[in-house]
Amino acid sequence: MSTELDGYTKHMGGGGGEGGEKVLVIDDEAPIRLLCRVNLEAEGMRVTEAADGTTGLELARNDPPDVVLLDVMMPGLDGWRVAEELLEDARTNRIPIIFLTARAEFRDRARGLDIGGVDYVTKPFNPLELASLVRDLLSRIDRGELDELRGEKLEELRALMETE
Amino acid sequence: MEGVARTLLDEIAATFGVSFAGLTFVSDGGREAVGYLARSHGKDVDWWRDVRVDLENEPSGVARAVFEATAFAVYDAAESNVVSPKLAEATGARSAAFVPLLLEERVIAVISIATADERRVFSADDLSLMQTLASEAAVALERLRTGVALEEAVAENEERLSQQAALLRAAHALSSELDLPVVLQRLADELADLLAADAADCYLLDRDRWVFRCVAVHGFDDSLLDFEFPMDKGLAGAAIREGRPLIESTYGGIENPVPHPAYEGFTDVTTAPMSWGGEVRGVLGAGRRGGHRFRPGDASVLEAFAGLASLAVRNAETFTQSARQERIQRGFYRIAAALGQSLSRAATLEAVSQAAAEALGGASAAVIVPSYGRLEPVGGYELPDALAEALEEHAATRDGQLFRAATEGRIVASRSIADDERLLQELRETAVSSGYRSLLAVPVEAPRDAGHGLVLIFFAEERAFSDEDLEVARHLGDATRGALERSELFEAERSARAVAQQLTRTGRLLTSELDPAAVLDEVVQQAPALVNAEAAAFRIVDGDELVVTAAEGNGADAALESRSPASGRLSGDVVQSGVAVVLPDAGSDERLRALDPMLAAGHSAFLGVPVGSAEGAVAGVLAVYAEQPREWREEEIEALQAVAASTSAALSNAELYQRVALERERSVAILANIADGIVAVDREGNVVLWNAAAERITGVPAGAALGRAPVDVLQRSLEAPDGAASGDRLVPVMRGREEVWLSVTEAVMRDPLGVVAGRIFAFRDISGDRLVEQVKSDFVSTVSHELRTPLTSIYGFAETLLRQDVVFGEEERKTFLRYISSESQRLTTIVDTLLAVARLDTGDLQVNLAETDVREVVGQVLDTVRLDNGHKVVVDLPDAPLPARADAEKLRQVFSILVDNALRYSPDGGTITVGASVRDDTVEVTVSDEGIGIPQADQEQIFRKFYRGSDAELRVGADGTGLGLFIARGLVTAMGGRIWVASREGEGSRFSFELPAPSEGSGE
Repeated sequence: MSTELDGYTKHMGGGGGEGGEKVLVIDDEAPIRLLCRVNLEAEGMRVTEAADGTTGLELARNDPPDVVLLDVMMPGLDGWRVAEELLEDARTNRIPIIFLTARAEFRDRARGLDIGGVDYVTKPFNPLELASLVRDLLSRIDRGELDELRGEKLEELRALMETE
Repeated sequence: MEGVARTLLDEIAATFGVSFAGLTFVSDGGREAVGYLARSHGKDVDWWRDVRVDLENEPSGVARAVFEATAFAVYDAAESNVVSPKLAEATGARSAAFVPLLLEERVIAVISIATADERRVFSADDLSLMQTLASEAAVALERLRTGVALEEAVAENEERLSQQAALLRAAHALSSELDLPVVLQRLADELADLLAADAADCYLLDRDRWVFRCVAVHGFDDSLLDFEFPMDKGLAGAAIREGRPLIESTYGGIENPVPHPAYEGFTDVTTAPMSWGGEVRGVLGAGRRGGHRFRPGDASVLEAFAGLASLAVRNAETFTQSARQERIQRGFYRIAAALGQSLSRAATLEAVSQAAAEALGGASAAVIVPSYGRLEPVGGYELPDALAEALEEHAATRDGQLFRAATEGRIVASRSIADDERLLQELRETAVSSGYRSLLAVPVEAPRDAGHGLVLIFFAEERAFSDEDLEVARHLGDATRGALERSELFEAERSARAVAQQLTRTGRLLTSELDPAAVLDEVVQQAPALVNAEAAAFRIVDGDELVVTAAEGNGADAALESRSPASGRLSGDVVQSGVAVVLPDAGSDERLRALDPMLAAGHSAFLGVPVGSAEGAVAGVLAVYAEQPREWREEEIEALQAVAASTSAALSNAELYQRVALERERSVAILANIADGIVAVDREGNVVLWNAAAERITGVPAGAALGRAPVDVLQRSLEAPDGAASGDRLVPVMRGREEVWLSVTEAVMRDPLGVVAGRIFAFRDISGDRLVEQVKSDFVSTVSHELRTPLTSIYGFAETLLRQDVVFGEEERKTFLRYISSESQRLTTIVDTLLAVARLDTGDLQVNLAETDVREVVGQVLDTVRLDNGHKVVVDLPDAPLPARADAEKLRQVFSILVDNALRYSPDGGTITVGASVRDDTVEVTVSDEGIGIPQADQEQIFRKFYRGSDAELRVGADGTGLGLFIARGLVTAMGGRIWVASREGEGSRFSFELPAPSEGSGE
């Protein structure tokens, strides 16, 4: 897998460069990681990958990204635990976390926000929208609208809860 | 006396110098005075005898003398209002005196004296003298008068007295006898004697034909008896016409004489009608020859005699009639007496027999009644055995005219049994050899239109049967019918009583007998006697069949446990119709015999009634059987239905009890082995009971809980927060450091005053239940995840490939497309798995078993396995093929699941060992890994749906649906094999399954 990854980095290098946002994708499914990377890099972002939670935490601590795309259901350390550890660690607790989840239920999304995630993406998702999602998120955080953003997300959930 | 009176009057006239003296006697109790003798100027006054003086209404000197009882004088008779003017004028009296004749202070007569030419005064001395004379005269006259009366009476009645004496004798003779023929004969005899006649006769009138018939003669030849002549003939006819006795002194010359030569030669005849009740009944006559006249007095005597005779004849007739009535009635009294005692049928028939024999003077009697379509001798009086047997034999077959007559309701009177062709030869011989000569057979209508029976009366002598006998016989028939009806009532009452007793007994069973089988045994034992049957069976409805669960009587052993279709006939009909089925002769139907072992055992009559269940459906059938064909009476059917009803009640009760007993046993067992915790607290709320399950669930030993409040023991109160104990409540308590969820129900015990006396809590540990719910919920999430993950890749790469803004190299495009392909395959597998589960759940799984080479299938699966994480696979397969009887596709699925699991649950790599070998008649396949292993407690659970090892998720992640082993087991089982696991936590697992080897030579 890593050989493939290297190949794309080289190939897509022109779009991202030094100034592109750095995204860490933690997912045990290789196709998902590839999907995220291909499409984020196509928008000029830099992408690092981890196939499990432990590796992801290590990467985040050593080279903190601008944002983490975090799969929930993984063998070993699952997404919730990874998020908790990221938020507990001073080196990583300011990195916004976007959950990638195949669990569509309300309680899973609520749990994500509860833990401290800023957004969630429900599988299956359109990979083309991933880059703009990350970019919008980061620009709002830059504008100091983090709490506002979380408020919106909670409001969304509430509405969802009511329709369920 | 007249002379004495005349002398007396003349003496008085001379003494007192008067011309007239008269004597009047007081008569008629003092109301009248009658002139007796008067003298005027020495001569009798003729008219004086005709003088009648009304003493009460007319004033007269006589009257005053009678009432004042003293002598007095009247100076001027003409002017006086004392003297009767009529008498004064007739006697020409101027002055008068009246002197009463006193005897024992009673005036018996008055003497009147009078002057005719001049008035004179009678002095007191005169009057006193007159009074003295009169007293003397009164005594003399009274003596005289009495003597005269006697003389006259004797003279007048001498003849009459002799006749009366004769009449009295005759009357005595007549009244001392009540037998009519004897009375009539005496009439003739006495009459001849009374009138000194040569002959006498007595005729009675036949009022139907208006002729006289001779019934008694005296002095005639007996041949005159029964001679008849029209009632208008002869002197008799004339006497009847005139309604009085007649005397004829020229008898030979009368018109219209009685035409019988016996009467020739009579000259003088007297005859008188006999009548009573205002109607002529006959005539009496007496005759003389040779011109001896009857005097008129003889007619009076005859008349008187005829009156007596009428009386005697009437008495005798009445007596004869009443004697007959009495004889008849004696027979009926006996029957009535028998009836009065509410006798059983047998006793009634015996009484009827005796009454019949006595009423008709028979030597013996038998009663034969119709019984269920046959004639049956049922009662006898002094009946010899041989005769009884002969009767029984022929009555049953209704042989001979005798029994046919019974059927037709005719009386058969046989004057001479020996010669009577109407009777059967054998019956005749038996009767004659038993000493009987004649026979009377009386039909008896049996109650309830059951036909005719017979009362037979045997007589020791040859006997002609009179109308009276036949009348008695007919009466007897009616009385017997009454007796039979009465005895039926008695029997009905007795059976009603028996029913009542049975019902009481069954009722007692309700409280005493709580075993349904014992109830049924009792019922089948009692039921036959109740309805005069010989056997009984109880069948219970068991699905489509009836099963005999209790039986009594002949055939019971064969019938017990036997089954018959509930939709069949007999008992089946009872079930279908829900009403009684009544068959008088079911045993004659071969099909029914085949259906019912009781009938097959020789019973004929069948009566079945439904026995209801508590829910109202027919739960069973109670049937009774009789050996002889017979009708079932309405009351018998009702009796059996009553028994069925109480049986039903008894059964429900017993079953209820058994259910309750079972419940109680179960409760005891539950309390002993109960999984629920049971905790009881007393009035103060302190624990008095803490069962083993409560210990186990809470982890608190009973010793530590007893006497303390639950809240102190568990740190949680078990009581409902608002004091309302309703429904289940969820209470979490801590078992050590572990949270346990209890589902608690609470019962409050109150004392009679309503005060809480204690509480009982029952609780279950439902933590496990919550886990199951959790597992199910997780499964849904898992499936969702499992579907969404490949979909994300497929959808994502497709979208990516469609990007216009990026140009992908050939290599990249191939990579994307390969992912789309492999993830689609993954999706298909997941869907297939879900389908397999659905089929296993609904039982729709199809397996096509055929001889399959296990070695080949294992090889194919291993070829597709992608190895990463440093796994190593060791394959241990024989060189030769391994044939098993299996579905190749299903086998591949099973094996794949096991290999996938081995890889998944050994995340740290290690060796996966795959083996297959023949073991006895099976082929065994094994997959071993060196992975995380399965805790002992989970090993039984892992083949269940949704189940995954409790910490498998933590260790290897959420991958997998938790359905693999469930599917694997379902498939293996469907192929006739089995699957199992051996594992040690942390060391790895070894899954094995075996499939049957193909049978020898099957070669499928």
